[in-house]
Amino acid sequence: MTRALITGNQAAAWGARLARAEYVPAFPITPQTEIIETLAKWIDHGAMDCRMVMLESEHSMITAAGAAAATGVRVFTATSSQGLMYAMEMLYSVPGMRAPLVLVNVSRGLQTPLTLEPDHNDVLAARDSGFLQIHCATCQEVLDQTLIAYRLAEHHKVRLPVLVNLDGFYLSFTREPVEIPEPAAVDRFLPGYDAETTRFHAGEPVSQGVAVLGSSPYSYFRYEDHLAALQGLPAYEAIAAEFAAQFGRDYAPVELYRSDDAEFALFMIGSFATKAKDAVDRMREAGWRVGLVRPRLLRPYPDAALRRALAGKRGVAVVDQNLSLGKGGILHSELASVLYGQPDAPPILASFIGGLGGRDIGPEEFFEMIRIVRQAAETGITPPPRLLFTENELREVRKMQAIAHVERKEAAK
Amino acid sequence: MYRIRFHGRGGQGMKTASRLLGTAFFLAGYQVQDAPRYGAERRGAPIFAFVRAAKAAIFERGIIREPDLVVVADDSLVPVPMAGVLQGADPHTVMLLNTGESAETWRHRLNYPGTLLTLPAEAAERAELRFVGATCAGAAARLLGVIPRETLAAALHQELAAHGEAVVQRNLDQALAAFDAMAEHAGCVGEGAAVGLDRAPAPAWVELPVDPADAAAAAIHAGATSVEVRTGLWRILRPVIDYARCNRCWWVCSEFCPDSAIKVVDGRPEIDYDHCKGCMICVAQCPPHAIAAVPERQFSEAKA
Amino acid sequence: MSEQIATIYKRMKDLPSTHILGAGTPMCAGCGGLQALHEVYDILGEKTVFVNAAGCMTLLAVYPFTPFRGSWLYTSMSSAPAGAQGVRDALDILLAKGRIPPEEDLAVAVLTGDGSAYGMGLSATSGAIERGLDFLYLCYDNEGYGNTGQQTSPATPHGAKTATATGPAGFGGYKKDLFAIWAAHRPAYVATVIGTEPLDLARKIEKAKAMKGPRLIIALAPCPTGWDFDPQQTVEVGKLAVKTGIWPLKEYENGQVTHTKVPSQRVPVEEYLKKQGRFAHLFAPQRDEATLAEIQAQVDAYWAGMEGEQ
Repeated sequence: MTRALITGNQAAAWGARLARAEYVPAFPITPQTEIIETLAKWIDHGAMDCRMVMLESEHSMITAAGAAAATGVRVFTATSSQGLMYAMEMLYSVPGMRAPLVLVNVSRGLQTPLTLEPDHNDVLAARDSGFLQIHCATCQEVLDQTLIAYRLAEHHKVRLPVLVNLDGFYLSFTREPVEIPEPAAVDRFLPGYDAETTRFHAGEPVSQGVAVLGSSPYSYFRYEDHLAALQGLPAYEAIAAEFAAQFGRDYAPVELYRSDDAEFALFMIGSFATKAKDAVDRMREAGWRVGLVRPRLLRPYPDAALRRALAGKRGVAVVDQNLSLGKGGILHSELASVLYGQPDAPPILASFIGGLGGRDIGPEEFFEMIRIVRQAAETGITPPPRLLFTENELREVRKMQAIAHVERKEAAK
Repeated sequence: MYRIRFHGRGGQGMKTASRLLGTAFFLAGYQVQDAPRYGAERRGAPIFAFVRAAKAAIFERGIIREPDLVVVADDSLVPVPMAGVLQGADPHTVMLLNTGESAETWRHRLNYPGTLLTLPAEAAERAELRFVGATCAGAAARLLGVIPRETLAAALHQELAAHGEAVVQRNLDQALAAFDAMAEHAGCVGEGAAVGLDRAPAPAWVELPVDPADAAAAAIHAGATSVEVRTGLWRILRPVIDYARCNRCWWVCSEFCPDSAIKVVDGRPEIDYDHCKGCMICVAQCPPHAIAAVPERQFSEAKA
Repeated sequence: MSEQIATIYKRMKDLPSTHILGAGTPMCAGCGGLQALHEVYDILGEKTVFVNAAGCMTLLAVYPFTPFRGSWLYTSMSSAPAGAQGVRDALDILLAKGRIPPEEDLAVAVLTGDGSAYGMGLSATSGAIERGLDFLYLCYDNEGYGNTGQQTSPATPHGAKTATATGPAGFGGYKKDLFAIWAAHRPAYVATVIGTEPLDLARKIEKAKAMKGPRLIIALAPCPTGWDFDPQQTVEVGKLAVKTGIWPLKEYENGQVTHTKVPSQRVPVEEYLKKQGRFAHLFAPQRDEATLAEIQAQVDAYWAGMEGEQ
């Protein structure tokens, strides 16, 4: 085992290398590019026995990835943001082929307006595709979860592609100490790929990705994919437990930080969750009983673990770094759906939208969110959704609008 | 936790500086987080990189708001608002400037509340600009006082090995010279405290008004608004026309200037210093060699 | 002249007498595309995996039925060549690592309609050719988005009525020269074929099969449904396409284009047009002499440009 300072992107590349990925269809996009550049360098210099091919688009890249997985090799690929959107048709196509592969997404906000900086709208747009989703908070987790993702994807009861998500900039370009396991140890955890019956051989003809006419086969196949995704939960738990036993790092489907005795909880995914931990520590110092609940697994959704984690809490602040236009925070809606009607569900589930387009979330904002939830718990009235956006930010935008010659008529009072 | 911010221009090696210091901390047994802050802008544009180091796990992320140490590789960035050099600096913050002027001058000019130091002149040789990243990292390591000299050297070997022994050696010389030169200030940077509830005023959140679509779309309703961006601040060298030698063949310099920064006035080329990025194409292409490349520093010193 | 390779298909009776594409597909009766596909498949053999794009032939395999004795993979309208890339690369990896023996290898073929080949899938095809992918591409070209009811596609010819060109003059644009676009990439082989000239088709597929690298075939697919003619006329319409010279049979190899079947005396193009309902407005209620002359002039100009090449 080596301990090294590496970026989240390099950690993802290490995951692919240690998993002995055999095939990498690739297409560059900021902030993912370092992943494929790192792999290309290793392949060119003989450090990795793998074939990489540059496709002409992400749509083709995911097509090639799915086709190669359907032919019987272990596939890795990576993209981000607009690339994920461009590939969306194939993201929905590959799961039904039951061809396992691992896709790393480096989260970045979606246009319009175009941005290079991170939020989670890209990966959440793939939420319903059938790709299982693992969300990482540290560079170490990126490497480890990539290995776990292969076990999960290739699990006999699952056989679905898995998406591993890391935040652009905050993880992709940030170096942190990462333990890089020995290849032999990884080989014990993750043996070579078994294609089972998903493969193309001359001797055993097969037609894959076949159409249906009629709703009964359609309903059957789609729901079977869903059931397989649900099987991913116990499968993930077992694989994560095995990983913890072998490597000493625990990746339960839901991370709980000081939440056992907490009255109030912050609920979020991704790398900003470590900032929330810091805020939790500060609030604990001030005597507030606050914790963090962070799902690592978003598909399959860990319903029971979340209900358990939040049972009896007086209030939850859900921080969504995404926005379903016309509805609000996606994580908030999802969490509400598993808590509704539960006898010991938290009475207050407050929605906060923050971190859009890479916007920082400051410690004072975490404190304020909990302050609001505490007040709401007293009054019993759930506060309206709140965008984390300050007077100064609005002033900054107004200045830009003046330069852009926007004639803004103040709304009539 | 130590929180260090490096400020420089694209191409001055601030990412290298942050990585050298990050690796040095790592080898000294610290938990580390380092990252460059990339924008869409290029060589010459202000950029920054940061390092966090602590004995315990680091949960903070992203931009450092309250730095313990700010290292500025290029003093011309200090007055540039978008560079944000002074952001969050308080009496606790140590500022290290690469400058041709004295620390006293800068302390006075900025009315700086904390410790303000300058890189010693020999470490700041302009000719060695391409090693300024290593110089900054070396000086920073000494100011922090917790990184041994040999650990700094080991970090440098590790980070720059891929560039070959010669590059390693030149950078090592620069970094160690800066490390040694800062001996009298060793350990002057202290670890800052986390932001607790006691010093975190409630954020001034606002409700966004419902703006009409034409205002709320990312559309610019005018042409050439980019002239408001003073890309002249990217410049390290300034092209200066000697009109005594100028042939008035403006179609050479003005055509080749990628930035439309050479205007032709009555058949005479005039350089728009608000926007000239300092690429020096005009200097290279001028038929009578009438354009000189003059270090920008000479102008700022003259002004001071 | 391309070099003459000995062919085993010298006469019609040399063609395979057993057909490996299974019966029972949902293609229209009289489908010229299916005719070409079964002829191609007979030559390629069942050790082929077809990677298919959206189009009429998406529905060749409808669960639980497939006419392929070999393998097939459905991808999407725009990315079948990328699917072929994934399959080919994966097979090569498996072969290189000894995970499958050489006899388990498969030839990789892309199967798409003109909508994908001429339009949405062109970028993926360009990429596959430029990467030198070892595959065969078969486009069945029925000159419209046939599977959705024959709307105008990038392959629709001038003057044809389609479901989206219903005005008195039909489609005002011109058919794109996909052969030239493909050939400009300098792949190993490009050819036009038609199912109604099976010997020419068989020789070309035989030749392509023996090559490595990108090999691309456009089969004009007379379409009773989309072109509006009686299914029994498919062969007649196809033969007229060749005899009138509107569908030149040719191949590209080593930078050279060669015509493989030059009509010695070209039949007037209106003989081909008037067999099809999609061109009926050119003849009744009165003849559209201008359009007929324009179409004829284009065919004549094409062949005039070819003189001296043979």
